[in-house]
Amino acid sequence: MKLPPSFRPKRPRWFVATTAIAAGAIVLGAGVRWWRGWSAGDAWGLAFGILAAFLMLLGALYPLRRRLMIAPLRTAQDWLQLHVYGSTLAAVFVLVHMGLRLPGGGFGWWLFGLTLWTTVSGLVGVGLQKWVPSLVAAQLTVEVIYERIPEMLDALRAESAKTMEGASEVLQRFYDAQVQPALAGLSPSWSYVLDARTGRDQRLAPFEHIQSFVGDGDKDRLADLRSIVSEKLEIEAHYSLQRVLRAWPMLHVPPAMLLMAMIVAHIVAVWYF
Amino acid sequence: MPGEAHKHEPVVATPEELAALEQLRVYPFLKPLPDNVLKKLQPNLVERTYAPGDVLLRAGEYSDAAFYLKDGVIEIRFASAAQAPVPRAAGSQKAAPTAHRKSAVSADGTIIVADMPVDVSLNKRVLLEPGELFGELNALARYPVSSDVVARTDVVCLAIRTPALRMLFKQKEVADFKKQVDERYRSRTLGSHLRQVELFSGLGDRAIERLRQTADIVSFEPGAVIAEQGTPADAFYLVRGGNVKVSITTGAASLAVTYLRKGEYAGEVSLLMNEPWPFSLQALEYVEIVKIPRAEFDAAVREHPPVETKLWETVVARLKERGAVARNPMVSQYLQMAMDTGLIHGESVLLIDLSTCTRCDDCVRACADTHGGTPRFVREGAKYQYWSIPVACYQCSDPVCMVGCPTGAITRAMGTLEVTIDPETCVGCQVCARNCPWQNIAMVPVAPPTTKFGRPVDKLATKCDLCVGRAAGPACVQMCPQGSAARISFKDLVAVTEKLSA
Repeated sequence: MKLPPSFRPKRPRWFVATTAIAAGAIVLGAGVRWWRGWSAGDAWGLAFGILAAFLMLLGALYPLRRRLMIAPLRTAQDWLQLHVYGSTLAAVFVLVHMGLRLPGGGFGWWLFGLTLWTTVSGLVGVGLQKWVPSLVAAQLTVEVIYERIPEMLDALRAESAKTMEGASEVLQRFYDAQVQPALAGLSPSWSYVLDARTGRDQRLAPFEHIQSFVGDGDKDRLADLRSIVSEKLEIEAHYSLQRVLRAWPMLHVPPAMLLMAMIVAHIVAVWYF
Repeated sequence: MPGEAHKHEPVVATPEELAALEQLRVYPFLKPLPDNVLKKLQPNLVERTYAPGDVLLRAGEYSDAAFYLKDGVIEIRFASAAQAPVPRAAGSQKAAPTAHRKSAVSADGTIIVADMPVDVSLNKRVLLEPGELFGELNALARYPVSSDVVARTDVVCLAIRTPALRMLFKQKEVADFKKQVDERYRSRTLGSHLRQVELFSGLGDRAIERLRQTADIVSFEPGAVIAEQGTPADAFYLVRGGNVKVSITTGAASLAVTYLRKGEYAGEVSLLMNEPWPFSLQALEYVEIVKIPRAEFDAAVREHPPVETKLWETVVARLKERGAVARNPMVSQYLQMAMDTGLIHGESVLLIDLSTCTRCDDCVRACADTHGGTPRFVREGAKYQYWSIPVACYQCSDPVCMVGCPTGAITRAMGTLEVTIDPETCVGCQVCARNCPWQNIAMVPVAPPTTKFGRPVDKLATKCDLCVGRAAGPACVQMCPQGSAARISFKDLVAVTEKLSA
């Protein structure tokens, strides 16, 4: 099966190299464990632990890089790729550092759990960042700036009210019952993540039903109202999808920060004791 | 419509309007024109006065008018070659067309500048006196002005804006005016234009002189068909100004193959192979063409074997180009879009791939951070397939925004790509913003309002300057975490096709 272009790795060589290194590290860890047993505190265990900590630290520099626009330090895309591949590799190194076993003790479980959570939520984020834009590009025609959504909705409401000037009573009743509520506010939905046009036909169906009840003079008005509501549905889809993209870091960043703090505590504890 | 101006209907005008028309008749080349033609010309004829020391034109800026000197004396000051680096167009090794490149410096320091009626000198003061016309090449072919033009005394000039110039050229009553302008182009500029055509680089002085003498100088209105596929090829066409669409008809479809800009040419393949036009040429805007008749072209090729060798190389390249379009009609679609939207003028157009853009706005933030908190573009605009073309300056090859800036605040340094606005000298008059056909220049409020050159300033014009001076290039592209933002020159059709098809 061929992946759509937006789902292919942006740096295929990095992908191959990371997969190879991760596989190599697991094989090495398993081999050493079988040969002479494994301890997180011996040379092999420490080496993987240090590598994992270094990669996590490197990954944590990405949000800093986004804010510090120091020109010669390559592109933001390079840094994001480093963040993704480096942090994924760090998670594998943590597993090897632990001797490919489940952790012991509460602190160990916290470290392991947070590493797992941060890595998985990060990879989910990568998936969302690939999936959502390609979905929007393929299914939606309107392009929306998130912060301007309320302004755009106000404009649509004003446009619909203007369209209704001089309309017949039948259309006015339809407007009051169907169009105004449809334009009243946003109803964000997770279902847009799977299909950006979800429920669209259903929500536009009343416009087809009313067709035969309005006079010729109102046909154009009805068509205009339909396109206004259709645009609003696209804005709603944008809102839902962009909200997902904006909300996702909340699942990733705070645990990642906690993880960094706990890694520091772990290093200090190991060093001290 | 061609010939439209020849229909002289009687004009109904008030006594004041008639008096204004009579005032225009003091200019000898306007005298023979009937009232109705003069009335149509009037909005684009502006009498301007200048005090000694005032600058009429600045070297490097663009102008949309020719000037007829009515009273006073002006001085032409050439910006020396030392001050002007060799112009370079971004994304290519080819030099950008400027009036400097068409200048020849002789041993005694005399310089032939294409856009002025006299040779200027690095050593002597060069003055123009009443009755001289200058700047018509800048207005018609959109070349940047080669020299500073400064009033030496009180000066009165008639600025003839480009639409008026074009209309004047069609009036049979003043046929001499066009003839005079064409002859001046032929005598002062055409030779060096021909030398810049790579195909003719091997020709000697005599051959160039012969081509120069026999060439026709013709103009076409937007949409006019210059040559039609399948008709006999009668001449070699060199584009002097404007953009020309090249298209082929296959079955019922007309596919855009490429477009020609000033300095580019067509017809050589048909002439060499003795075949009819393999494609059609159509003017996308006002186009100025230099036509070299078949016999003269054939003679030049016959007498200079290296030219024929180069021609064959061109034949192969053109056939490849046409083959590529026939194999991949998407190329034609992109070209057509670029022509329809005006993107072909763009030397560095910002494109955002919407299928990978996560709408994080890091591009806008990076732009704002680079420019003291105010972004120079808006992440919205036209959409083509998966591509967004945000409202950001295209850095046009012929920046019309540079026409008419009263303080010279908007400039493009010789040899660079960026059109920049100097906030120190911008007076917020909005001329550049109004001139920009794509609304890519924004007026931003100044707090608190200030006074410059004696006028209150509460807004300044701002635009994308490609983050000039930033070593890593435009911040919007560098700081996009998904690599969705790209800058592209629509001159590089291969890159455009690769980018848009990716």
